[in-house]
Amino acid sequence: MFGSIVSYIREFARREWIHKFLFAKTAPLTTPVYSRGFPELTGKTCTHALFCMMACPAPGAIEVIHLDDGGWEPRIHTGHCIRCGLCVEACPNGVLYSGRILESMFYDNTMLSFSFRIDVDTNRCMGCGNCAVACPVNKTIDAQMSHGGRASTDELLLKVSEGKCVVLHPEKCTGCKTCEQQCPNEAIRVARLLEAVHAPEEEL
Amino acid sequence: MSILQSFKNLVRSRSIHVAYVDVGSCNGCDIEVLACLAPRYDIEQYGIYVHNNPREADILLVIGAYTPGWEDKLQGLWEKIPDPKVAIAIGNCPISGCVFNRPHSYVNPPVSKHIPIAAQVPGCPPRPTEILQAVLSLAPEVFKDYERRKK
Ligand code: SF4
Ligand code: SF4
Ligand code: SF4
Ligand code: SF4
Repeated sequence: MFGSIVSYIREFARREWIHKFLFAKTAPLTTPVYSRGFPELTGKTCTHALFCMMACPAPGAIEVIHLDDGGWEPRIHTGHCIRCGLCVEACPNGVLYSGRILESMFYDNTMLSFSFRIDVDTNRCMGCGNCAVACPVNKTIDAQMSHGGRASTDELLLKVSEGKCVVLHPEKCTGCKTCEQQCPNEAIRVARLLEAVHAPEEEL
Repeated sequence: MSILQSFKNLVRSRSIHVAYVDVGSCNGCDIEVLACLAPRYDIEQYGIYVHNNPREADILLVIGAYTPGWEDKLQGLWEKIPDPKVAIAIGNCPISGCVFNRPHSYVNPPVSKHIPIAAQVPGCPPRPTEILQAVLSLAPEVFKDYERRKK
């Protein structure tokens, strides 16, 4: 019995035991490489597509700001960003990275694709043309477009024809929703559709 | 005096008592705080003890976006904690309201409007390592030479 007490005390008097008792024992706390952190810039050029902002589910998490040299750059706001990584996946130019998202997109051959659907409620539309004049895509095609939205060219995205707004080239829409904000009657609606798709081989 | 003070500093750095309060979260951050207690992160090996009793707490972890039910409660809870004390905002919710901060919602962030917040740990939820690092880096600053600073 006495022997067991002595062996007990000797066990606890070992230097290693005291060291382990007094000092932290688990491995140093490091962030694993696969962990999705706040998105960071890869250094590629941002083209102001704004897909990141459209995909972002958290209010106030991401902003694309205009730089002094004329370029654009996304800024992530910690405290708002939930590190979901959707902006990383949605960006068509690979401007952002976070964890292994870009690598796994490459290996799985997946991408997020945005498409936009423009709906004009012809019962509400009064043909004022605010939408067609405000649309920034229209502005690049026909900078001279008069108020009222009437134009001779059919290359435009939207125009007013016979007193109603008609959508000519929905594929040119960038989903900015400017038209929606300018319409006095809530007649025009833009839906943003976000789909996860398998990318065709040649796009990679 | 200074020997006693440095002994106090040493002991206090290995004995930090934590209470946490959820002022309206989705429970994601509560689970990450809980994970700190589990063997993988094992918060107690650093001398941090979670009692969840404000009367014996040094650090208050505030979780959640501050719902109306807390209007009259959080302030009282903060006053119950004896000095020296700090509050740490855990997660996006107490900082910005996170995904709940939308038009017509009832949440009233940031929590720093209601009680003083010494540090913020952003993330939805933050990783247990980030929570641990925040507590560990803040604790020595708060408790070091407390008596001398009080004078
Ligand atoms: S990671 Fe998610 S929450 Fe954060 S900025 Fe990107 S899309 Fe928004
Ligand atoms: S949402 Fe499309 S149609 Fe509307 S203003 Fe923007 S680019 Fe033009
Ligand atoms: S959709 Fe709206 S803004 Fe466009 S022409 Fe019709 S009423 Fe005017
Ligand atoms: S920060 Fe995110 S995980 Fe934490 S409580 Fe808020 S919504 Fe939940």
